Amino acid sequence: MQTLRLSDHLLPEFVESLKAWGTLWAPVERAPGVFDLEVIDDVRRARPDALRTILPFKKLLLKPRFTMLTGRLGEIPEDPGEGRHGPQVFFGAHACDIHALRILDLLHLSNFQDSYYLENRKNLMVVGYGCWPDERCFCASLDTSTADDGFDLFLTPLEGRMLVSVGSSLGDDVVRANPHLFEPATRQDTREYMERLGARRKAFTLSLDVTDLPYVLELKREDPVWREIGARCLCCGSCSMVCPTCSCFNVVDELVPQSVGQRVRLWDSCLFRDYAVVAGGHNFRADRADRVRNRYYHKQEAFVREFGVPSCVGCGRCIENCPTGINVVEVFGHVRGDL
Amino acid sequence: MDDLYLPRLARIAEVRDETPDTRTFVLQLRDGSVADTLPFVPGQFLELSVFGCGEAPFCIASSPTRPQALEVTVRRTGQLTDALHTLGPGDEIGLRGPCGNGFDVAAARGKDVVFVAGGIGLPPLRGLIWNVLDERESFGRVTVLYGARTPSDLVYKNELADWGRRDDLELLVTVDRAEPGWEGNVGMVPILFDMTELQPASSLVYVCGPPIMIRFVVQDLLMRGFGEDAVISTLERMMQCGVGKCNHCAIGHRYICRDGPVFSYRQIREMVE
Repeated sequence: MQTLRLSDHLLPEFVESLKAWGTLWAPVERAPGVFDLEVIDDVRRARPDALRTILPFKKLLLKPRFTMLTGRLGEIPEDPGEGRHGPQVFFGAHACDIHALRILDLLHLSNFQDSYYLENRKNLMVVGYGCWPDERCFCASLDTSTADDGFDLFLTPLEGRMLVSVGSSLGDDVVRANPHLFEPATRQDTREYMERLGARRKAFTLSLDVTDLPYVLELKREDPVWREIGARCLCCGSCSMVCPTCSCFNVVDELVPQSVGQRVRLWDSCLFRDYAVVAGGHNFRADRADRVRNRYYHKQEAFVREFGVPSCVGCGRCIENCPTGINVVEVFGHVRGDL
Repeated sequence: MDDLYLPRLARIAEVRDETPDTRTFVLQLRDGSVADTLPFVPGQFLELSVFGCGEAPFCIASSPTRPQALEVTVRRTGQLTDALHTLGPGDEIGLRGPCGNGFDVAAARGKDVVFVAGGIGLPPLRGLIWNVLDERESFGRVTVLYGARTPSDLVYKNELADWGRRDDLELLVTVDRAEPGWEGNVGMVPILFDMTELQPASSLVYVCGPPIMIRFVVQDLLMRGFGEDAVISTLERMMQCGVGKCNHCAIGHRYICRDGPVFSYRQIREMVE
C-alpha cells in the first residue's frame, strides 16, 4: 500500500477534486454537535472529523424509500431508476463505516445479489478519515477500530498534515490526477502515526466483551433480562434506522393516479409490531421482548453463524439514539451477569 | 442485469373454485414454457403479484412432471389475495421465482411416503404427491392423510375422489366438524394415524398445515417412533424479497425463503424465534 502525506491547507482542494469522481457526500454539522451525511457543494462544510452522522452511509447504497417499479396492470413494470444513484463519493468514512460496508457486502452480495446494492456499491468511492473515540465508541472490542482495506483512500490526521493511505487502484487514480497535492510520507510522519495509534488505543473508555458471545447467547435465550429490556423498549426502530449494518426492508405496492402502480422499497425494523405477521393475522413475534431479543440475537449470534462476524461495528449510534436509554453494551453485560 | 426483483408476466389460463374462499389458478408464462424457462422442484414457491396490490409468496401446487402449467391454490385473506380472486382466465399477474429449496424428491425414492395435511396445507404437498404418483414405481407405499375444519373446507375435492379410487394410494380424510351429508371421519388429523399402518423405519412423512396442527401431528409421529429427520415440513413466514435479503422470514441464522421453506423436524426444532 502506498502512503503519502497531504498538508492541511491543501485539504479543501483535495476534497474539491473528489467531485470529479461522483456526487460528493460528507458529514456536515446541522446543529451544534449534530451531524448529517449530505451532498455537499461547499467543501468547507465537510466535517470528516464528526464521529457519527445521524443516519450512516447505508443510505447512499439503499435509500430509506425508493420506487423499484412502476407500471400498469398487465404490463411488465419498469424500473424508474430511483434506486440507482450513479457514481458517489463518501468522504469521511471511519474505520467502523468501512467494516460496516464489508458486512453489508456479505449480506447483499453473497448467495443472491441485490441488484440495486451491487450497482451502487460498484459506483461508490470510499475516502476514509481517522477518528478519535468518544465514550460511546466500542469498535475496538469488535476489531473494527482500524481498517486495512475496504477503502480507496484513507486520511489520518496528524499535526498540520494528513497521512494518506492508498487502498485501491481507484484511490491511486485520484492521487495521479492531483499529483501536486501529495508528497511522499516521511519517517517523522510514520513516527507520529505510531504515536497516534498507541494513544488512540488508550482513548477507548467503553468495551464490549464478545468472548464466546454467540454461545453465551444461546445459553441465555430464556434469561429474564430479555423480558426486562422488552419492558423498556418502545420498539420505535430508531436503533435499526441509525445502525450502519441493519438493512431489513419492506416492499409495498401503491396506486397513484391514472391507475399507475408503483412498488416501493422502504427501510424496515424487526422491532416493529407487524414485522412477522403472516396472512390471516398470526404474529410470530407478537411480544416486544421477543422482538428485542431477536434483534440482539440476529446481530451477535445468527449473523456470526452465517457469515463468521457479528453485524455490529461498535459505532455507538444505537446508544446515542435510544429514547429510553437502552445501551447495547449494558444489555450484553446484563446477559453475562456482570452487572 | 438479471434483476432479482423484476417480475415476469404470467397469464391465468384457468380458475377453479376449491372452497368458498379458496381458488386454484392455472398459470402459463408469457415468455416461454414452464419446462424451458421455470425449472422447479415440488415445494418451491413463487412470488406472485397483482401490480398495485402487492406481492406475496405462494407454494407451487403442481409438479415438474406435469410441466404444461403451474398451479397455485390461494385462500382469500387480504388485499393481494382479494385482488387475485377478482381475476379470471386471460388476466395477467406478476411472477418471480421459483424461490426456496423445495422437497428432496431423490431422498424419498424407494421409501414409503406419508403426507399429512391440514386445511390449506394440502396445496404445498400436492406437487410432491403428483410427482410421486407420476413416478409411482420409484416409491413404496403412498399414504395421504388429510383433515379440514368442515367438508366444505376440503380442497381438490374431485382429485381426492380420484385418489380414493386408486389402489396404489391410501387416502384417509377427516373433518373437525361434520356437515349434513358427511359420512366420513370426524376428528383432528392425528385420529387417522390409528386407521392406517404407519411404518416409521421405512417412511418419510411430509406435514403441512396450521402451526398448531403441525405441532400436534409431529409430537404424535415422534411418539410413534418416527425419527426427527424423517418428519419433513414446509414453513410459512412473512416474506418480502424471497431471496434472503429483506430478513423478514429469518429465524436465527436461517432464512425460510432461501434455506427453506422445507425443513426436517430436526432443523425446525433447532430454530427459535
